[in-house]
Amino acid sequence: MLASNIRKIAGIQYMQDLSRTHGWPYLISWSHRISGVLLAIYVCFHIITLSTLQDPAVFTSKMLMFGSLFPTFFEWLLGIPVIYHCLNGGRLLLYELFANRRDQLVLGWVFVLSLSYIVLLGFFMAIGNQSVSAILFWVYLFVVSLFITFITIKKTRQSHASLAWKLQRISGAFLFVMIPAHMLYMHLDPSTGRDAQVIITRMSSSFIKLVDFLLVCSVLYHGAYGIFGISRDYLSSRRLQIISTFSIAILATLFAWIGVNLIFSVG
Amino acid sequence: MMESFYDITLNVHRYDPDTDKRWIDTYQVKAGRIMRFVDVLRKVNDEQDATLAWGSSCEHGQCGSCSMKINGKPLLSCELLVENAVHYFDTTTFTIEPLDVAPVIRDLVIDTDKAYGRVDKVKPYIIKPKPLGEKGEEHQISPEELERYVDATRCINCFCCASACISSHHNFLGPNAMLAAIVRVMDPREQEKQSRFDTLYSENGIYRCHSSQACSFVCPKEIDVAHFIALAKNGEIKPA
Repeated sequence: MLASNIRKIAGIQYMQDLSRTHGWPYLISWSHRISGVLLAIYVCFHIITLSTLQDPAVFTSKMLMFGSLFPTFFEWLLGIPVIYHCLNGGRLLLYELFANRRDQLVLGWVFVLSLSYIVLLGFFMAIGNQSVSAILFWVYLFVVSLFITFITIKKTRQSHASLAWKLQRISGAFLFVMIPAHMLYMHLDPSTGRDAQVIITRMSSSFIKLVDFLLVCSVLYHGAYGIFGISRDYLSSRRLQIISTFSIAILATLFAWIGVNLIFSVG
Repeated sequence: MMESFYDITLNVHRYDPDTDKRWIDTYQVKAGRIMRFVDVLRKVNDEQDATLAWGSSCEHGQCGSCSMKINGKPLLSCELLVENAVHYFDTTTFTIEPLDVAPVIRDLVIDTDKAYGRVDKVKPYIIKPKPLGEKGEEHQISPEELERYVDATRCINCFCCASACISSHHNFLGPNAMLAAIVRVMDPREQEKQSRFDTLYSENGIYRCHSSQACSFVCPKEIDVAHFIALAKNGEIKPA
């Protein structure tokens, strides 16, 4: 009885029913969608927070607030949608573009690697004393991401799909490694992501500026196209479709401008 | 343990178009273990409620007219045995709803003209056939060519895939409509490809597919619908 109530409250029963009627990949797709919307909202919040770097004193006071236990725990929890969305996005790329049909196997790996990442992230956040050269770290991961992006571009060339659709896959391939790496790097040491002077010094490098610029553009395009896709699924009225597309484009451009302006004005 | 009969409860979604009223009726049925759900519904008609409307034709899993949602899963009611349903859903209570791909006409019957309207948009027939050979012989499809898409030709348009799809039913033409278009693109007898590409790669086409693979999961003909749509996304549906 207790076990049954726990299953009901935790939604496990509902998810089991859904997997029985629509299959596990359907449930995974819903989770991908929900995590994507959450991350799109978070990216906007993240850009606004980082924009206070223009005034290091304001940034430091904000970071003091985020450095307490509850926000740190929240940041760790954020790692769940981040890694899940990235790895499951990788699974979708493999399925759609690389003709992988051993999807159950890849799905298993998505969960195993997500769990490993979350544990690893929590471990680094707990010890918080790792020091890695920003240039070395990002050169290595940038090259890996460019390679993944290149093979994805090659695969999309034969598709008849629109450029916007292809760019969603290409930006996803670029972010596949970059985003989990970004999150991990920022938590190797509390100063890496929270000390205004450390961040400003790091951002004075042209290479880091390039990496950050590509990250902001890819994330905002990927998020905007994702939300656009969801709106197109549900909005039947042509008028509402135009309004939603226009709103999404304006918001993405606005946040891109804030982000790019910050990258090229700081450091 | 194998039972000879099951005492099952059916919660059937009803709709009366004259009053525009929706409600749920509950029926208790003593059903034999190898009775199909079409038999169960017929038993309800015979013994309890002659007004309950539902549709079926061949009742052999070939026409797709008896598709409905049972405990949330879109399926052919002529293919689901009571015993299998009890084991699969782990219950003897079943909620029966019409598919949500078209307006309901009455109870479990949907407007199939509206549903088929989406399939019609992809023109599921040969528009421009390849000319006959020099001696007037018809074009023959080689086994290798056929092998690539023969599974997709088994679609019976039951709309179970469309009902299960994550993309809702507002704008997507549906997995079965995509499959019909893909079959004709892969068909070497068909010369008109461009108009099909235009439909496939339209805002109501494959951009609305998010590879949730629910279509493949529910397909009563066990067609891997998501596989064919993924081929289309990747541009691998040209004839060999």
